[in-house]
Amino acid sequence: MRELAQKRLRKNLQQSLKYLVLVFNDFFILALIFLFGALMFWYAQSMKKMPTGLWFYRPLVGVIIWLPLISGKLVTLLEPADLHFLLPQDKQMRDYLKPMLNYSLIVPTIILVLIAGILFPFATLKAEISPVAYVVLAVVVLLAKVLQLKLEEYNLYSSHKLSLPLLSLLLLLGLICSATWTICSYIAVILILGAFFMLAQKQKNVALFDWQYAVNQEQGRKNRVYSAFSMFTDVKEKKISIKRRKYLDFLLPKSLAKEKPNRFLYRRSLLRNPEYLNLLVRMTAFAILISWLVQNWLWAFGLSCLVIFLTVYQLLPLVSEFDDNVMYRIYPIEREKRGQDLVAVLKLALGLQWLIISLFWLIILPINLQLAEAIIGLLIFSIIILWLYLPIKIKKRKI
Amino acid sequence: MLSYKISKFTKRKIGIMVLKIEHLTGGYTGVPVINDINIEIKPGEALGIIGLNGAGKSTTIKHILGLLRPQKGKISLNGIELTKQPTEFKRQIAYIPEIPVLYPELTLKEHLDLTILSYQLDEDKAWQRANKLLTIFRLEDKLEWLPIHFSKGMKQKVMIVTAFLADTPLLVIDEPFTGLDPLAVANLIELIKAAISDGKMILMSTHILADAEQAISNYAVLNNGVIDVVGNLTEIRQHYGLNDSDSFDKIYQILNQEQRHA
Repeated sequence: MRELAQKRLRKNLQQSLKYLVLVFNDFFILALIFLFGALMFWYAQSMKKMPTGLWFYRPLVGVIIWLPLISGKLVTLLEPADLHFLLPQDKQMRDYLKPMLNYSLIVPTIILVLIAGILFPFATLKAEISPVAYVVLAVVVLLAKVLQLKLEEYNLYSSHKLSLPLLSLLLLLGLICSATWTICSYIAVILILGAFFMLAQKQKNVALFDWQYAVNQEQGRKNRVYSAFSMFTDVKEKKISIKRRKYLDFLLPKSLAKEKPNRFLYRRSLLRNPEYLNLLVRMTAFAILISWLVQNWLWAFGLSCLVIFLTVYQLLPLVSEFDDNVMYRIYPIEREKRGQDLVAVLKLALGLQWLIISLFWLIILPINLQLAEAIIGLLIFSIIILWLYLPIKIKKRKI
Repeated sequence: MLSYKISKFTKRKIGIMVLKIEHLTGGYTGVPVINDINIEIKPGEALGIIGLNGAGKSTTIKHILGLLRPQKGKISLNGIELTKQPTEFKRQIAYIPEIPVLYPELTLKEHLDLTILSYQLDEDKAWQRANKLLTIFRLEDKLEWLPIHFSKGMKQKVMIVTAFLADTPLLVIDEPFTGLDPLAVANLIELIKAAISDGKMILMSTHILADAEQAISNYAVLNNGVIDVVGNLTEIRQHYGLNDSDSFDKIYQILNQEQRHA
């Protein structure tokens, strides 16, 4: 079992590295360096101006140093087929899980070191925590992470699952206390070690592994990781699960009288296929966020145009979405005018995107004549993209 | 118990209505799977295609549906050629596949709506028919569900309902009986019988003759990509020299031997 675990870990590491290389491409690294630089500059500047020893500094340190505990669930790398092939291996699962537990600690530890490092000047100079107490605090966080993982491991056996959100809340309170009063750190260490002991005692009584639960948990964890990767690149392992989203049905035409088969399909794919709806929501939110960051109508206009262009560009594959479906090919559906049908459907989507971006501009940007011009300009740009660029692009796809 | 009125469209064209497959040779790129196939089905006629796995049944069906391009030969329905007017041709065919194919995005109701849109059916009349079909297959309370989450048998029922809803002159059915419960099999046979008596054309491939022969009397035996014989089951028995006491399944053993020696 240990060999199986090692083999799966190697495979998982290779796969993660493959996607990490794709996520952290040259462009993204450059953007990150700039962002990080800007953040550090702002941090250094505010450190100079900030008064020392305000009452909320120490609790704030507690909250921030708690953040790494959110990341990194227990990696078990169990697969649905294990339900069948590993079912009689309950006893050997402890061996299997040991390397998994260590592996699960890697990412949270890196994040902890990073956050603790960045926080160090603020904690020691402004919140006036002694360096030794700060190191003890970081050790408490690390122990807390181990406790979280141990609890997750315990839940894989027990039929009475212990609540992880409750533990997280307790740890948050504990860390706020520990950051405020150093003595609490030492108490926390003792409490966590006590919890380890208790869990170990409890675990002696459980032997039956909860296979279905474990496989479900791992599927959920994997899908969360893939979703994160898929924001930057195509993830072929990710399973697309269609969501019914009945509450969005009001965006669909009530009557079939004026509807066409392709439009009928595109509308529903756009609303229910998470790939497309998430893209639309993500891009709109992104346009609003950068508009708020630049705080200038001209920049906001230019960048939002770019975002709208990228939205349409990424929605292009929708046009041939159903080509693999045999029934789509057999039904008497005309395929020559699909481009026009897609334009008709995206009209509503881009119209909504324009409306939402414009509304947020009115809230976050200074209202003046130029802003009105920018709003109209954005509408004209959307129309050009939709009626001129999209049809040409679709013709080039040779469908 | 199930009566289907012949639509005006069918009545008007019934005189010249015929499915003609002439000298069809085809298969996958470069490799002919079927050779010089000739089939003709007139209104009110049904033809079953039987043969071993790999004999060319599905390939023949794929050609009729326009999923494969013929290397030689011609397929026409009601004087409309598949290669020249594909949409008009397809509007006259409904298909029930062996493995159900559904849109993950669409609810059951929307699958029916899409059929109505694609086949340009009259909405009110189509829904009257749809409701009858849904009741027969006990799906009437699942209209808002996503059929992609249904069991295999229920998915198959959705395919049957949409195909019969399309109310086309020709119905192509690929091995429909596997996975259906006995009640649904009986209902399907009734529907096929009603369609035949309404002047529709049926082409069906199957291995389960015990069910098929309740609705279909004529069969074509496909062997190594060519049609060995066309006729009713008695004629086919005679063709292969079966005794009265032999089971019909003995034909498959003969076909197997012929294939090995071919």
